[in-house]
Amino acid sequence: MKKHLAALCILLVSACVESAWAQVSDDRLVKAAQEPQNWLTYSGGYAGWRHSQLKQINANNVEHLAMEWVFQTGATGSFQATPLVIDGIMYVTAQDNRAFALDARTGRQLWRYQRRLPEKVGGSNRGFAVLGNKLLMGTLDAHVLALDMKTGSVLWDVEAAERSKGYFFTSAPMAIKDKIVIGIGGGEYGIRGFIDAYDAETGKRAWRFYTIPGPGEPGHETWAGDSWKTGGAPAWMSGTYDPELNLIYLGIGNPGPDFYGVERGGDNLYSCSVVALDGDTGKLRWYFQFTPHDVHDWDANEMPVLLDLEMQGRRRKVLVQANRNGFYYVLDRTDGQFLLGRPFARVTWAKGLDANGRPIVLPNTDPTPEGNYVCPGIVGATNWWSPSYNPQTGLFYVAIREQCDKYFSVPAPYKEGKVWFGGGVQTVPGDEAWGALRALDPRTGELKWEFKYHTPPWAGTLSTAGNLVFAGDMDGYLMAFDARTGKELWHRQTGTAVWASPMTYAVAGKQYVVIPSGSALFAFALPDSVIAKEISNGR
Amino acid sequence: MANDPQAIKRGQNLFALSCGYCHGLDAHGGGRGPDLTSGRWTHGESDAALLQTITKGVPGTDMPSCNCPEEEAWELIAFLRSLSTNTATAVAGDREAGERIFFGAGGCAACHLVNGRGSRFGPDLSRIGAARSVRHLTESLRNPDKEIPDGYQAVVAVTKDGQRIAGVRKNEDTFSLQLMDQREQYHLFLKKDLREVIHQPKSLMPKYDERALGQKELEDLLAYLVSLRGQPKQ
Repeated sequence: MKKHLAALCILLVSACVESAWAQVSDDRLVKAAQEPQNWLTYSGGYAGWRHSQLKQINANNVEHLAMEWVFQTGATGSFQATPLVIDGIMYVTAQDNRAFALDARTGRQLWRYQRRLPEKVGGSNRGFAVLGNKLLMGTLDAHVLALDMKTGSVLWDVEAAERSKGYFFTSAPMAIKDKIVIGIGGGEYGIRGFIDAYDAETGKRAWRFYTIPGPGEPGHETWAGDSWKTGGAPAWMSGTYDPELNLIYLGIGNPGPDFYGVERGGDNLYSCSVVALDGDTGKLRWYFQFTPHDVHDWDANEMPVLLDLEMQGRRRKVLVQANRNGFYYVLDRTDGQFLLGRPFARVTWAKGLDANGRPIVLPNTDPTPEGNYVCPGIVGATNWWSPSYNPQTGLFYVAIREQCDKYFSVPAPYKEGKVWFGGGVQTVPGDEAWGALRALDPRTGELKWEFKYHTPPWAGTLSTAGNLVFAGDMDGYLMAFDARTGKELWHRQTGTAVWASPMTYAVAGKQYVVIPSGSALFAFALPDSVIAKEISNGR
Repeated sequence: MANDPQAIKRGQNLFALSCGYCHGLDAHGGGRGPDLTSGRWTHGESDAALLQTITKGVPGTDMPSCNCPEEEAWELIAFLRSLSTNTATAVAGDREAGERIFFGAGGCAACHLVNGRGSRFGPDLSRIGAARSVRHLTESLRNPDKEIPDGYQAVVAVTKDGQRIAGVRKNEDTFSLQLMDQREQYHLFLKKDLREVIHQPKSLMPKYDERALGQKELEDLLAYLVSLRGQPKQ
């Protein structure tokens, strides 16, 4: 009897603890690094490092890494999401606004959700944010949803904009204090971009920041005529947050139409920029534009990573970004001051950057009816897939593309809700294209090591304290590298192109590495025998 | 819509955006798709057939669905109808003579397959007349190095003991290589077992210049190739 009571107590206690743990406070999000067994935000933490302190899987034993479970979502298209893991449960979104809760040890499903979307609407989604007992998600018909973590049922549902006018969400939202922050997609549909914040409890909109200034606002003059109304500048990626400065950092996408810039003369602020917004009001504190008057579709939605680095003789709070335009940038994140920029891949459109970080553009690099051959190509030197930063090695890891395109322009009239490129690209037959994982010194942008990929990638990286970098590739591999040297230590084929960034977590003393690929999530872990050996060796 | 200059213009722009990648910005075809100015429509020339081809694609070929509203498909058709038929694509040669060159002196069948005859080493040409323009075929004969189709790039795998295996690349990634040699044998390698992988920029197809193939013979061969429009219906 006594024994049974004890068992019951344990059950009750664990139930109490479990229900307390299930609430994810904003304080937990700020201190995400203190619970490495969990993965609480899209990038694993507000600073965008995509780095984990877990080291059960490490450079000495990664050769033993093996498949632990697979979960099939049933969705087609590119699986771009990063799952969240909270206290043993995985929450993941998939294509066409599906979502699932899984037992993170086995991949067994706890609940599923699928949104009924308008006809012909479909595509990718990059993940949830979590706050309190809610999971937050943007939808392909431009709604923001809160789901009950326990059941997947919808707690609130608000429409941010009209899908029929070209607006949609693919981004993982960010939970900041008591609000949900999310940017809109639709840069190829003649939208006017914005970033919204919603009260997490009620779904009431708290503020909206338009990424294209309206009449009377500073920056409006950077758009000729009425082009600001349909100028794009979406914010289709999650960003980063500095709780001390109370600043939210988000990258802004391309101006529209993408390749035909004649009718949108000017720098087209805040397209192809990073903006720093007040964490409470959404007011613009500063901006930095990487590519003024872009005509190559070089969105600046790549992760703005927050680092504290020794630079110019003192410790500085910086924001670094490997931009789609081929330059690596270091900015002072308190005020946006340009500190440094240099190419991290082949760049043929600009001679360099001036003292303020503005590109010195070379002639004959804009798209024309006949086409101009320019590097990087349309996908960019890198893109939305995550870079990572390892504080132990002090290196910044980024998956890059060495690929160029011939860009051409075609005048195209705006039609509400219709795709609006104003041109396109052609690859040149026989043109060599390849990719690489590169490790940069974040203080200088200098290349420290590189591992070449046969094919230019669409997948990101994960750094861990096990002296490892994980990365996916277009040929279907998940790979692991020595974080200090770039030596390839392990790879497994997933069967189709990887379009996502890896993540990691631990449950009941076992570390897992997860990669989405095709219709499935693949979870890898060390065999129990190897884990036992690690424990007996005191590691 | 067929004679509406605005619709034709819109169709032209749409064509450049959606179709030019394979069919060329001027619709004259290229290494990926046929000439649409030849006046021959392999998959049906009625408006309904063209609409079907554009909006649904053609299974078993590289032609995808345009994924566009029907209104835009009609604008594309208006543009295609506005193109003057390119009479220069008519071929004067003797088809039978061309066939003899293909399976005889030209040596084409040593690498290429037509309706089950020949070799699997090079691209199957059974429907090449429907898939590529005369201009492209001429260029492929005279200057085969200019554009090499996927799956036929020349590659040499050098093993650790120095053995060299040459063939066409069927697939490759960072860690492995799959090639076919001229005897139609597959060779499947892990790169860690190889000393080197040499990618050759030149095509394995010989260059059929004026000396190798005179103008008359070229025209005969083209007449044969243009006639190849798929396996005859049983």
